[in-house]
Amino acid sequence: MPIQVNELSKHFKMFKREAGLSGAFHSFFNRKYETFHALKDISVQIEDGEILGILGENGAGKTTLIKLLVGLLHPSSGGVNINGFTPWNRKSDFLKQISVVMGQKNQLWWDIPASESFLLNQKIYEIPETQYKNTLNELVDLLSVQDKLNVQVRRLSLGERMKMEIIAALLHRPKIVLLDEPTIGLDVISQLKIREFVKCYNEKYKTTFLLTSHYMHDIQALCKRVYVIHKGASLYDGDFEKLVNRINPKRKLIFEFSEIPDTNKTKILSEKYIFNLNDTILHAELPDKELTNLVSELFHLGIPASITMEDLPVEDTMRSFFMAPEKFLE
Amino acid sequence: MNSYLKKYFSVIRMTWIQALEYKANAIVGTFAIFSGLAIEFLIWKQVFQAQDLQEIRGFTFNGLMAYIFLCMIVGQLKSSWATSMEMIDSIRTGEMNKYLIRPISFFTYHFMMFIGHNSTFYIVYTTVLILFPIVLPGWAFPTILHVIGFIAALLISIYLSYSIYFCMVCFAFWFGEVRALVIAYNISNIVLSGQIIPLRLFPDSVRNIINLTPLQFLVDFPVSIATANLPINLWIPKMGMALFWCIIMTVTGRVIYRSGIRVYGGYGA
Repeated sequence: MPIQVNELSKHFKMFKREAGLSGAFHSFFNRKYETFHALKDISVQIEDGEILGILGENGAGKTTLIKLLVGLLHPSSGGVNINGFTPWNRKSDFLKQISVVMGQKNQLWWDIPASESFLLNQKIYEIPETQYKNTLNELVDLLSVQDKLNVQVRRLSLGERMKMEIIAALLHRPKIVLLDEPTIGLDVISQLKIREFVKCYNEKYKTTFLLTSHYMHDIQALCKRVYVIHKGASLYDGDFEKLVNRINPKRKLIFEFSEIPDTNKTKILSEKYIFNLNDTILHAELPDKELTNLVSELFHLGIPASITMEDLPVEDTMRSFFMAPEKFLE
Repeated sequence: MNSYLKKYFSVIRMTWIQALEYKANAIVGTFAIFSGLAIEFLIWKQVFQAQDLQEIRGFTFNGLMAYIFLCMIVGQLKSSWATSMEMIDSIRTGEMNKYLIRPISFFTYHFMMFIGHNSTFYIVYTTVLILFPIVLPGWAFPTILHVIGFIAALLISIYLSYSIYFCMVCFAFWFGEVRALVIAYNISNIVLSGQIIPLRLFPDSVRNIINLTPLQFLVDFPVSIATANLPINLWIPKMGMALFWCIIMTVTGRVIYRSGIRVYGGYGA
């Protein structure tokens, strides 16, 4: 078990003040502090080679968890064991096994080409010359950025920069990679490429990935298992598909008849199932079992020209989940 | 070169590459010091001429100019206040995360950045210092021993200055914004280390207080060696004291840093 998190909590002391100049003046002399519980008793185990999605709305505690796992923060209580290391001790051998990419933070040197930052990382992580060259060539090929290596980082597009960030993070072949919103702000094509890359890299090197993302397509494409945090507390740990089905077990059906079906028969059917029928096209959103029964009955009404069954958009499903998560997990 | 040295030399290398991206800034920054020297020259010229003085507290005009010129160079070489500002910002904004996730020391990384940024100064001023005894014989560096003593004291001064700044930077873990502290120290340090007026011209009571602090080793000490204002028999004890301050400030910085990192919020991402 490479990552074991036990009853991890983190709270921050924050001061609050009223808006405006008078609020600023008042707080200068009489500062009021509040304790913010960013994480409360989080426990999770992560297997070697797993891709775990960490989900939660803004401020849920996802990034705080990532920061604790990578050793940026000290916890208020609880413990983390990663391959025998405690992250916040920041031992060199631990830091060489781990890497983090933060979609909203730049880790490369801004004013010089990414290739120079890669060279610096080679020295910092003490990567042997041959291994460095081989890894760099492989990553550059996989992410198709050969022609961008010698361009100043600040002149790169967001997508290109993110690819460079990923290369910098993987040069030392870490066993665990934490990706915090790696596709934020990227166009659909770049998102897809990053997803494909992570999947391919995970399959090839069995690297453990922890991924946070607000794009559910990232999670759907990459993570079998998700860990959901809500207001700093653990809410769900398990299969993503099961969670989605639990939140919204419905599927969508578009059944197109080759000719307009008998009105009396459809009227009888509408007493059993909820659907919309416009001339020859029938739309329905029903739980899986009901949908199967409906389809078999529709065959008796007429010959289909086409049948389409699809899952409801996962983004919509998860949005409704985060609005009232307790409701779905009772 | 072992991997530890390679690691930190590569940081210096990066700062060189970065500095070369902005060549105009590098050139202007290197020669900015000479404008300050011109002002000092004019002020002291007036003082000596108006009072018809031959010397002030043992300084002839030429000796004073040599002292001030060397003070400016040493002051520039040891000043890491710009690096300190960057470090404070990196703690406040969470930029520090990128150093903490790597097997590299925050203290040493920024020390190397500071050395790297100052490298152009080192090259230009080394040339100036080599030319100094040739162009102005007798003004400074009477023997090769004085050159060696000056270099040793300068290296101590550079490290000591950085470690003092580092201690102040670490308070950003608790207070977020401590630039005012660094600026206040920087101003007092410029005056009290002898960078503008030689310490020998200070009243004895002030000098006695300064002698209890590490400030005397930042500028006055290396320059007094170079200009032969400090007897050779005092070099070793003074260097011992300077090294003692280096140890004190390094340990203090480490203690503050270790406590600070526990409360670090890593904000910004």
